[in-house]
Amino acid sequence: MVGYVVRRLLWMVLVLWGVMTTTFFVARVIPADPVGAILGPQAPPEAIEREKERWGLNQPIYVQYARYIGGLLRGDLGVSLRTRRPVLSDILQFLPATVELALAALLIGVVMGVGLGVVSAVRSGHALDHGCRVFAIVGLSMPAFWLGLLLLLVFYYKLGWLPGPGQLPYWLPRPPRVTGFLFLDAILARDWEAFGSYLHHLIMPAFTLGWLSTAAITRITRSSMLEVLHEEYIKTARMKGLKERFVIMRHAFKNALLPVVTVIGIRLASLLEGAVLTETVFAWPGLGRYATHSFLSIDFNAVVGVAIFTAFLYASCNLIVDLLYAYLNPKIRYA
Amino acid sequence: MQRWVLSGLLLVLGIAAIAAPPKDVLIIGARTDIIVDLDPARTYEVFTNLIIEQYYDALVNIVVEQGEVVAKPGLASSWEVSEDGLTWTFHLRQGAKFHSGREVKADDVLYSFHRSLGLNFAPIWILSQYVPKPEMIAKIDDYTVSVTTTQPLAELIIASVIGFQGICSIVDSELVKAHATPEDPWANQWLKTNDAGSGPFILVEWSPNERIILNRFDDYWAGPAAVKQIIFIDIPEPAAQKLALDRGDIDIAWDLLPEQVDLYRDLAGFTVIEGTSWSIEYLAMNAGKPPFDNPLVREAIRWAIDYDAIIYGIQKGAAVYGQTIIPAGMFGHLPETPFRKDVEKAKALLAEAGYAEGFEVEMLSSTAPRRVAIATQVQADLAQIGIKVNITQMVSAQFYELYRAQKHQFLVAGWGVDYADPDALAKPFAHCCTTGPEAPVRQLAWRNMYADCETTQLVEEAARELDPEKRRAMYEEIQRRVLHNGPFVILYYPLRQVVTRDVVQGLVLNPMESFTEFWAVRKTG
Repeated sequence: MVGYVVRRLLWMVLVLWGVMTTTFFVARVIPADPVGAILGPQAPPEAIEREKERWGLNQPIYVQYARYIGGLLRGDLGVSLRTRRPVLSDILQFLPATVELALAALLIGVVMGVGLGVVSAVRSGHALDHGCRVFAIVGLSMPAFWLGLLLLLVFYYKLGWLPGPGQLPYWLPRPPRVTGFLFLDAILARDWEAFGSYLHHLIMPAFTLGWLSTAAITRITRSSMLEVLHEEYIKTARMKGLKERFVIMRHAFKNALLPVVTVIGIRLASLLEGAVLTETVFAWPGLGRYATHSFLSIDFNAVVGVAIFTAFLYASCNLIVDLLYAYLNPKIRYA
Repeated sequence: MQRWVLSGLLLVLGIAAIAAPPKDVLIIGARTDIIVDLDPARTYEVFTNLIIEQYYDALVNIVVEQGEVVAKPGLASSWEVSEDGLTWTFHLRQGAKFHSGREVKADDVLYSFHRSLGLNFAPIWILSQYVPKPEMIAKIDDYTVSVTTTQPLAELIIASVIGFQGICSIVDSELVKAHATPEDPWANQWLKTNDAGSGPFILVEWSPNERIILNRFDDYWAGPAAVKQIIFIDIPEPAAQKLALDRGDIDIAWDLLPEQVDLYRDLAGFTVIEGTSWSIEYLAMNAGKPPFDNPLVREAIRWAIDYDAIIYGIQKGAAVYGQTIIPAGMFGHLPETPFRKDVEKAKALLAEAGYAEGFEVEMLSSTAPRRVAIATQVQADLAQIGIKVNITQMVSAQFYELYRAQKHQFLVAGWGVDYADPDALAKPFAHCCTTGPEAPVRQLAWRNMYADCETTQLVEEAARELDPEKRRAMYEEIQRRVLHNGPFVILYYPLRQVVTRDVVQGLVLNPMESFTEFWAVRKTG
């Protein structure tokens, strides 16, 4: 097991190096002038040249690459051309909001998705099954942007039950930034007003993002459950006279979980890097908007930094999922 | 268990009732993610400079009165120019204080200018084109400073440059020096997020992509501002801004789309505030390459465009009709709009130019939806005179790479005024005597390979002309020349629009958006 994990970690390093190198060269060889774009249409050529010199962008590409690798080995992702802050600081500044949103969305997605999937499989072919599937399809088909605005219109504007965009109301001071996670910072500061208000603000963006995951998880849970429910041992369990609830939850559900865990892992990674539209609609100060700005302005270091970070997330989620397999199904052993 | 669930629900739903903004707090919903650095020596984006404007002060205050730019006293109570027109002497206002409580003195003015020149960030050209060296700014006594320019300049130019909030904002030298390090002698890192100003508000919080909080500075030399606090809340999506305004959670929606603004006209409880913005939406034709090297082709294009379709169909009327390179409301503007869509005339011009059968051309556009819509309209218009336009969309980084390298044929773009003088437009649009890399000004005329030495000479003379009426006539002449011979099709001057709750009074939009002040804005409820 330890050997397996070490091998996987080495592979992960190789993958990250591949992603970094590809992104580094692609960002630099495409015919674009990020410095000129960042300084704006008015900036005179002398100012652009001066900036390029300042950033070392006039040097040969292999020199830039060597310098970047050198920095990376010291844990330095470089400095963003746009924000002029270290890319790592930028990522750490915006990541907590995205992580909180993604975890809340995943929680909604898993609870609703697994629940609906099980119900749908157990009531296969009935109206309830069709209802659950329609709910899943609608969630999958609805653009997050549109759904977010719709929720704001109904629950914020019309009914006034939920607060508008942002993480906190304007009049509430933000708890001192300790971890960057507002949820934790509010607890650490024992600021229960901020804590409650934050949870309140989290509901709509988390639901918007969570519904997408709900759809994927419902579908995979349903099909996996249906497959398991037709296995011989389920029939045996029923013939033994076990209660139906016991058969479904103890025998069927646990064995149907493997593919569901895979989907949850992939969903988590995609939630972390794909929340940009939800973040825009709900003015959520997360990494998605930072990444979008970086990519649109071809902000070299930020683009590479975000790419490495995203690849790291995917690789980590996959590793965790693989390790969970062994826990969920003792028949799986890693050589 | 049930009790816990119920308590949790109450906790969450109990905070649903959000109070309306208090009377002395102004809440503005805006897209703030453009802000990445608040060091005045670096800020160049319109919205960042708007924030800087609220908590810094410059020697001169640029305002618009009755449609004309006026230089009003700022930290300098008066100024005069030497007989040779080269040295400007600024007399500082006594008793003006920084937020730290220190008095603003000549040493601070010197330090601020030297710092901006020393840091040498992108916007410094606005100052360094006329004041390139630190020694050209000198202290005469604690309350008097002289600025020497490389050439005699009209008063409006020097006032607009010295009044530029950003590179010419005055910083508290003692405070900034206290945060300098050997690696960062100008304390750029510290000033990115901190306040060293003397303006009517004090920066108390900037949380990127969240909010900016400014508190009133009670010792401001012109008296305290009307509201106690301004909070800019980041709401990037215009539709969400609209909902927040309708709910009364924000007082001002800063970035509504023109079609959203129209919904508030004559709607009780809201006020639409609008004004000309000194920016230009234009098409550019590369005059160094066929077929646009032929002036008749360029003139034909100007007669083929449906300006009304662009202004009313795409811009939803949020525009001022104009076809000259100096926008309406600016000193020297020439209100001539000779071009209307006339397909027959355009075809005749094209035939006279030797292109009776038309031609095919690539048009560049950024991915901004408005620009793409304009490009599509132009494509349809030019198809009617036999020109096939192929639109290529690209992100700004690619777009400007091609544009700056003169590699385009035809494109749609916009231009904002850098400082409040027609020189800021005549130079980019009309100053080009050679299209090679040796050109001293490589802006729009140069990018479009439109060389006209006579007009270039006129642009330089106009900057030096001290008689306002002669100067006005010179700018009018420059505009006439570019109007018919230049490589541009000026489409319109965009209108700046914001919507406020009707409790907000006294907000006046400056045509240079970044110069808009909130000092006099008050709330009646």
